[in-house]
Amino acid sequence: MAGLTLNNVTKKFGAVSVIKGVDLEVNDGDFVVFVGPSGCGKSTLLRVISGLEDVSGGEIRIGDRLVNDVQAARRGVAMVFQSYALYPHLTVEQNMGFGLKVRKVKPADIKTRVREAAATLKLEDFLERYPRELSGGQRQRVAIGRAIVSDPAIFLFDEPLSNLDAELRVHMRAEIAALHQRLGNTMIYVTHDQIEAMTLADRIVILRDGQIEQVGSPRELYSHPKNVFVAQFIGSPKMNVVEAASLSAVSEIGGDLAGVVSVGMRPEHLTVTQPTDGLFRGRVSLSEYTGAGSLLHVEVPGSGTFLVLQNGPEAAETGAEIGLSIEPENVHRFDANGLRIPSSNSLKGET
Amino acid sequence: MKPSTVNDPRRTERAPGLSLKMRGMLTAWLFVSPTVAGFMVFFLGPLIAVVFYSATEWNMLSQTSTFVGWANYQDALTRNPDFWHVMRNSVVFALGLVPMNIALALALAMSLYRPFRGVVVFRTIFFAPVVTSAVAWAIVWKFLLQGEAGAVNQILATVGIDGPNWLREPNWAMFAVIVTRVIKMVGLNMILYIAALQAIPRDFSEAARLEGATNWQIFRMVIWPNLAPATLIIVVITMIGSFKVFDHIYLMTGGGPENGTLVLAFYIYQQAFEFFNVGYASALAIIMFFIVLALTLVQILLRRRGSL
Amino acid sequence: MTYRQQQRIKRICWVISLSIVAIPFVFPFLWMVSSGFKSANEIFGQPSLLPDVWRWRNFVEVFEYQPFARQYFNSIYIALVVTGLTLIVSSLAGYALARIRFAGSVLLVVFLLSALMVPEEVTIIPNFFLIRWLGLTDTHVPLILLPVFGPQGVVATFLMRQYFMALPKDLEDAGELDGLSRIGIWWRIALPLSRPALAAVAIITFLHSWNLFLEPLVFLSSLEKFTLPLALGNFTDPYGMPLWHLQLAATSLAVVPVIIVYVIAQRQIVESFAMTGVKG
Ligand SMILES: Nc1ncnc2c1ncn2[C@@H]1O[C@H](COP(=O)(O)OP(=O)(O)OP(=O)(O)O)[C@@H](O)[C@H]1O
Ligand SMILES: [Mg+2]
Repeated sequence: MAGLTLNNVTKKFGAVSVIKGVDLEVNDGDFVVFVGPSGCGKSTLLRVISGLEDVSGGEIRIGDRLVNDVQAARRGVAMVFQSYALYPHLTVEQNMGFGLKVRKVKPADIKTRVREAAATLKLEDFLERYPRELSGGQRQRVAIGRAIVSDPAIFLFDEPLSNLDAELRVHMRAEIAALHQRLGNTMIYVTHDQIEAMTLADRIVILRDGQIEQVGSPRELYSHPKNVFVAQFIGSPKMNVVEAASLSAVSEIGGDLAGVVSVGMRPEHLTVTQPTDGLFRGRVSLSEYTGAGSLLHVEVPGSGTFLVLQNGPEAAETGAEIGLSIEPENVHRFDANGLRIPSSNSLKGET
Repeated sequence: MKPSTVNDPRRTERAPGLSLKMRGMLTAWLFVSPTVAGFMVFFLGPLIAVVFYSATEWNMLSQTSTFVGWANYQDALTRNPDFWHVMRNSVVFALGLVPMNIALALALAMSLYRPFRGVVVFRTIFFAPVVTSAVAWAIVWKFLLQGEAGAVNQILATVGIDGPNWLREPNWAMFAVIVTRVIKMVGLNMILYIAALQAIPRDFSEAARLEGATNWQIFRMVIWPNLAPATLIIVVITMIGSFKVFDHIYLMTGGGPENGTLVLAFYIYQQAFEFFNVGYASALAIIMFFIVLALTLVQILLRRRGSL
Repeated sequence: MTYRQQQRIKRICWVISLSIVAIPFVFPFLWMVSSGFKSANEIFGQPSLLPDVWRWRNFVEVFEYQPFARQYFNSIYIALVVTGLTLIVSSLAGYALARIRFAGSVLLVVFLLSALMVPEEVTIIPNFFLIRWLGLTDTHVPLILLPVFGPQGVVATFLMRQYFMALPKDLEDAGELDGLSRIGIWWRIALPLSRPALAAVAIITFLHSWNLFLEPLVFLSSLEKFTLPLALGNFTDPYGMPLWHLQLAATSLAVVPVIIVYVIAQRQIVESFAMTGVKG
């Protein structure tokens, strides 16, 4: 097992720069999730780490070893692909043992290691089957099993669950978490799915356009996003961000407003009040019932549409005039560059 | 857990001599090296050589060659009446073969692209000559097309037709050579057409049928327009093939009678390997190259436009 | 008549007309085989599909007239070697062109495409001198090498390339992580997954070599070296007139096995031609 260090890593495809200088320190045993918008370079970064793509610049270290020019197979990483990438012409057992066979491990040892991994993943009954004879979830487990068998220092996952249906996804997510608990290896995981990111990660790396926006624990990113991009990217539905000037209520929130250009409020932090009681008011243009609660689209004159999560069975009706309020410490303030202005204690004192 | 195989320090020390990128390149060149070597020796080299040959004249007696510039081309294009005769034959052959082949292929494909009982038998029959060697095909047809005793004429005689001596009369020989070649090769175009027909969504013709279109209207308005791109390609491929035909004619008529079926590919062979006019034959080969090149470029342009 | 009966009659007429069209496709085969059993005299008598006397001796004389067994063997072994070599060479190059980014790959594709535009008739003259200079005339070497590296080999290369490009890239990445070298990925992942393309290449290459005529005609001179297509035209009397009964018996021996294989595997074989026909 080993940690991972990226030092100003860059990747170009021809003239196009896809990874633009990434620095990252991953501790041994960490579960790190890469998230970011489509096309931001998550997969590319993962493939550069794995050695499937050669790196254009910078340094990649696995443990203490500089691996820039080490072949993928010798880096001590294993990868689980979105497409599973199981060899169609080999059985489950052969699939899982293939890497060991290539590395000329003794057949008896291969057998024990494959059986061990199969037991972990409850795959014993499928060892003689071909991938086409398995369900999606089973294939996914085989893919993970193949990674386990190779006993890597680092596991790499590229959107491993995105081909599964919602229920199975939740289930496999839990299994991966359990696997990490048990094995304790470093894992790097790429996903589109916020919930996956939040639930699995020790630390989340937010990428945008080939660069890291912020690294931190799920909690940190949620409550202390570094900038508007991160603030809106983490959390679902996404944070409402409006120009400070457009909302007179901002001044009521108080605190040091010097340099504040925009403010952000998470839908789950806004509460619905009587029109007269709230910090500001608006009209419900759409009310979407979700079961546990409702998602309201609220037109606030001058500021645009706010998303509001209203808990409980009752929901404001479409067309209703409502008031909205929020605890001041839940208001995020951003400067002209979109950077978050850390909340000061004075703010809390005044409320 | 077992000690990790990958963090074995000995592996760490194995300093890689080459970057990953260089290594990828080297393997790639290793993979293509047989092809590249063969290409250089048996294709590129000869192609350059034939250009040089075409500017020389080979003397059989002294085993030397002299540079003659454009003389061989001038011979072909202006002095030697055989050349234009041969070109005429090649064009007649192509113009006779291509429409017949395409029309028959399309008709067969239209009859056989939808499943019915026995469809496989018919497809198998119509394609069988394609896998048969041209030599065997030519031998059998030469046998069948003999003058009095030939089976074809004897069968014609039973219905009162006095068949010609097919392969001994210039015009009939050309006709016979074309028809037998069509029968040999039509299966190939048939399956290309079947593939094209099966690729047309059924909804198209079904929608037309619901609107009350007749079979012929459906063919004209729905199927034919959808086949046009495939047809263009098939025409060009068939045309190129017809310019290259050699073994069929060599065996059926030997280019005769009275050079009535002497086509370009055969003429080149004759000049090079029977009369040893290497320079002249090379010039002919270059001319043939340009004809095929022109046809291929047409094909590529058609493909660019998104057909097939 | 009911609609159903009408349809039925229509269908029967249809099948009958197709059968009539099929006559010139089938008839030559039948005539060839039956005449192979006739005596030289009977061949020129009244035409009949079945021989009066089945003359099996023809098939013995075929082997006595010239070294036909040897020639038959030559055709088989040359076709097998050409097929094997083509499979290796074309799948190696096709793989690199499909999967590896390397300097010169685009140029190579253009060059290979250009080879498709040049008929064998154009390069056969210099190739003849090359082979003669190498002292390889009247050997089987040119019959093996020219097809492997000629247009036929290029068609095979592009067919393989096309197929490799459509294979999932992830599988190869997985193979790379599992420790395979490029050769290993090619051999243990790409090739096993490309059986349909390999089969197509094998089929068209084998038939092409089996039926090759111009090259043997140019390069071979001794009877023991002949291949079947060359040998078949060689059953003649001292005046150069064909000995039809032997010629047709020999031709039957050359054609019938191919037709039998074809009938058994017709779907596969027809598809192979369709693949190359459209893409090549
Ligand atoms: N082999 C390649 N050649 C050229 N450009 C590439 C290549 N692979 C990826 N790219 C480009 O690099 C950028 C990043 O791609 P990447 O696959 O890493 O995105 P991603 O973050 O994984 O997106 P997604 O969430 O959609 O999977 C994209 O703009 C993509 O077009
Ligand atoms: Mg991706």
